[in-house]
Amino acid sequence: MAGFIELMLERFKVYREPGYYKRFDYWWAMVIDLDRCTGCGACVTACQAENNTPVVGEEECGKGRNLSWIRIERYIEGEYPNVKVKFIPVLCPQCDRAPCEVACPVYATYHNQDGLNVQVYNRCVGTFTCATYCPYDVRRFNWFTYNKKNFLKGNGGSSTSFEPPLDQQLNPDVSVREMGVMEKCTFCIQRIRAAKDRAKDENRPIRDGEIQPACVQTCPTKALTFGDLNNPKSRIAQLAGLSTAGDLHYLRESGSKISDISSNPRTYRLLEDLNAAPTIFYLKRVMKNGSSTAGHE
Amino acid sequence: MLNRRDFLKLVGVGGAGAAAGFALGELTKTPPAKLIPYLIPPEDVIPGIANWYASACMQCSAGCGILVRVMEGRAKKIEGNPLHPINKGGLCARGQAGLQLLYNPDRIKNPLKRNGKRGKGEFEEITWEEGLSILTNNLMELRSHGEADRLYLLTSLIRGHLNFLLADFMKAYGSPNYLQYDLFQYENLRFANKIIVGQYTIPHYDIANTNFLLSFGADFVTTWISPVNYNYGYGQMRQGEGRNVRGKLVQIEPRLSLTGANADEWVPVRPGTEGVLALGIAYIILEGGYYRGGDAKLWKDALKKYNPEAVASTTEVSEDRIKQLGKEFATTKPSLAIGGETVSSYENGVSNLVAINLLNHLSGNIGKTGGVIPNPDVIKKSFNPIATIAKDASRRKIKTLILHNANPVFTTPETLKLKDALKDIPFIASLSSLHDETTALADLILPSHTYFEDWGDDFAEPTVGYSVATIMQPAVSPLFNTKGAGDVFISLAKTLGGNLQKDITWEDFGVFLRDSWKKIYERHKGDIKEANFEDFWNDLLARGGWWDAVPKASKPVRVAASEVSAHLSSEPAKFEGNDKEYPFYLILYPHLSYKDGRGANLPWLQELPDPMTSVVWGTWIEMNSKAATGMGIKEGDMLLVESPFGKITAPVYFYPGQRPDTISIPLGQGHTSYGRYADGRGANPIELLPAKTDPKTGAIPLNSTRIKITRVNAPKSFVKMEGVAKELGRNIVQTITPEEFKKMGKEA
Repeated sequence: MAGFIELMLERFKVYREPGYYKRFDYWWAMVIDLDRCTGCGACVTACQAENNTPVVGEEECGKGRNLSWIRIERYIEGEYPNVKVKFIPVLCPQCDRAPCEVACPVYATYHNQDGLNVQVYNRCVGTFTCATYCPYDVRRFNWFTYNKKNFLKGNGGSSTSFEPPLDQQLNPDVSVREMGVMEKCTFCIQRIRAAKDRAKDENRPIRDGEIQPACVQTCPTKALTFGDLNNPKSRIAQLAGLSTAGDLHYLRESGSKISDISSNPRTYRLLEDLNAAPTIFYLKRVMKNGSSTAGHE
Repeated sequence: MLNRRDFLKLVGVGGAGAAAGFALGELTKTPPAKLIPYLIPPEDVIPGIANWYASACMQCSAGCGILVRVMEGRAKKIEGNPLHPINKGGLCARGQAGLQLLYNPDRIKNPLKRNGKRGKGEFEEITWEEGLSILTNNLMELRSHGEADRLYLLTSLIRGHLNFLLADFMKAYGSPNYLQYDLFQYENLRFANKIIVGQYTIPHYDIANTNFLLSFGADFVTTWISPVNYNYGYGQMRQGEGRNVRGKLVQIEPRLSLTGANADEWVPVRPGTEGVLALGIAYIILEGGYYRGGDAKLWKDALKKYNPEAVASTTEVSEDRIKQLGKEFATTKPSLAIGGETVSSYENGVSNLVAINLLNHLSGNIGKTGGVIPNPDVIKKSFNPIATIAKDASRRKIKTLILHNANPVFTTPETLKLKDALKDIPFIASLSSLHDETTALADLILPSHTYFEDWGDDFAEPTVGYSVATIMQPAVSPLFNTKGAGDVFISLAKTLGGNLQKDITWEDFGVFLRDSWKKIYERHKGDIKEANFEDFWNDLLARGGWWDAVPKASKPVRVAASEVSAHLSSEPAKFEGNDKEYPFYLILYPHLSYKDGRGANLPWLQELPDPMTSVVWGTWIEMNSKAATGMGIKEGDMLLVESPFGKITAPVYFYPGQRPDTISIPLGQGHTSYGRYADGRGANPIELLPAKTDPKTGAIPLNSTRIKITRVNAPKSFVKMEGVAKELGRNIVQTITPEEFKKMGKEA
């Protein structure tokens, strides 16, 4: 086991020499305020519409093979009437020390110059290794070419995922994946690219708030915020309580806890102890401790 | 330098061979396989560049503004319009899924004529000329027999200028029977507001600025009235910038809804007693001397029987809790009480809502920021009880029925016998984009455009304290051989002649809409200031709507205790069926994805996990596992649910957020002819309901019966996505207590 960990660290070092981040223009990150999130699921459908993720049907869903890149996890604790329900949107947090990247045998997933964890579809050979390594269960596998599979067979109907004319809705900026390919949230990289093009044409950096991934854009409660963490003045840096450039460098190099750095006591990172350095910063929900949402007695 | 277009010109000039090759290619290609079929593309088509068209969302009656992203003539994505005052850039899952309505494989592609027995679903394709002439001849014949008033027009909720056109058409034709129907039309709420706020409208509930929100069964984050606006308000109430206090939400309902799951406290009240609980809280407000009005004595007298002791025994909410709620509601400023669908759907819905509204009056929340803000008056629409249609049809009063996007057969209980009644109507024409249970009975189907292909507008109700109109423009050209409903009526008017020709003179609906907006322009109100109508119209289309952001000054309303108490009832709501035979209360609720069933044909929504149970692609029954012990029921078992009026089967989900004496079932599934994604899926719980409608408002009480359950053997169950529903110490959703949050002060 020890040897294995060393091997991984070795691979990681080759991959990231110290000070690597200084060459990066942007570091895309997201802040999700759990005190605003109601769990309504608008982001899930928005993502599906933007990213050409197929509908897989009831049977495939039953096998846990639905392809949504963002999901609302819901936890119910307690028994009637002291029930406590909590929601959390989970999408790929584009880990800075991503376990999936070092695991891929064909380098189909890598860290790009904007701090994004990127999946190269035509390089992927479908070993499933990355999904096994991902602690957040956000990688989704195409078990079939869903636009050729009749997903209503069990119900006596007939429809593929992009049954014409539904295929006319497909976003031309995003490729449609086929069988054997792993996919995951890209932070809507097509929107980032478009904004970069625009900014380049106008000879300026990307403005704060200029890019909104589909989930962030649609969120009715404005629970999700997207932006550049390299810019300490950006809205997400403010919300996450990471308001100096020093904070960010420290965060990237030291692997320390966010609670030691952030000035906002509500900021936390999901499963931080695993040390994958996710770049989605959740803001804790304000909620009565332990006992209840009820107080029936 | 030679650019691409010049190059193409050079290569293409006079090339006879090339032309012949092109023609041959055109013949052999199937149309969708063409790449760019334009020699000179239209000005708005540049490959790779998106156009955004502002329009209106028609997935429910909230009246949100949308932007449609169009590339190469095809709609790719819908986003909320950030300028729009109702949704402020956000959009719900149903709004996002609108594109699957436009590109639904089950859309009606050509006009259809019934071919075979009614209701069998056998149709033959005809041309528009033939379709329109069939309808025209029918209407001419009806009129020549002097039976013009036996034409009925039934539409979904339409509030824009199409509504005025249809009203004009029906008037000029000579029929008073223009009706609109929606299962959720909030008539009970309007009625209750008339009594307390003095207006037959829905006010703006200023959730964003309130500090204490007392919600009686209002599931405002999923479907209730204007969910995107209320969601925005909720976000602001919790963590809005510049707020020093985090607003508190208390949810009072027998079934923990998604809104309840987000609440700070849940009060699982006995079903049907919410109104009594509200009066109990009112009693505390008066007893505590928090009410400042001069008529406190009168109110005290009117409410004296709602003392905590009595209320506690009726509602099963403890005395202490009632006292604490009353005190908190009266002393936290501003506070707001809202009464939602659960409360409104009991047979005494109106009196419950009056009682809840009374709380706003007693603690002075009406007309205050963070309270109830009155909205501008709206034109009273003819919401008619759907029961009258059933009655009129069965009495053979209706000779011809024209339907437009209304599907009452699915949303009314079998016991109302609407389907049988419709079968007695000699001629039914449906102007619908998709097949549905009501259109299945039609003799003639004239397929209409979806909201992406048509002109239109919408006057939102409720708005946010001032008038908001949203414009709808064709974002894409029609996909199939369809016409807009407005265009159909205008061409009918032309061929029918007489008064109709005199009153309805426009070429098509687009022209009518523009002309109508000229009148709005001439009033020179609103925040689009332009010197001429052309510019005004362009601005209007560019930003998607018109609003007059001057909140209406609220008039003081005189609320007389004697008058109000006539509408109050100290009795809990009645449920059909005796409690020995039928041990469970039944709560039906509109589902996040399907609402009243209209979303069930969109695969994205079918695959969106239900937020509470995570079930996809089906119906389930929510039951507390405590109630199931001793009955030998396991989760996932199929249950036969029986009321005195009907029965359905569906699998059971053990839900701890459910009173043990209550069972809840979501609406929306159980379609029989609504396209491939909806048909044969789940069950329609409306079949369990009695043939009851509210005498004052025509509303169908969804929560008005008791049920019993028995386990049945069936192989099929549900599919749920939840995995492990417990955190198991992983500390995934971290929280801090309100006390800690208060100490934090202002965030960094």
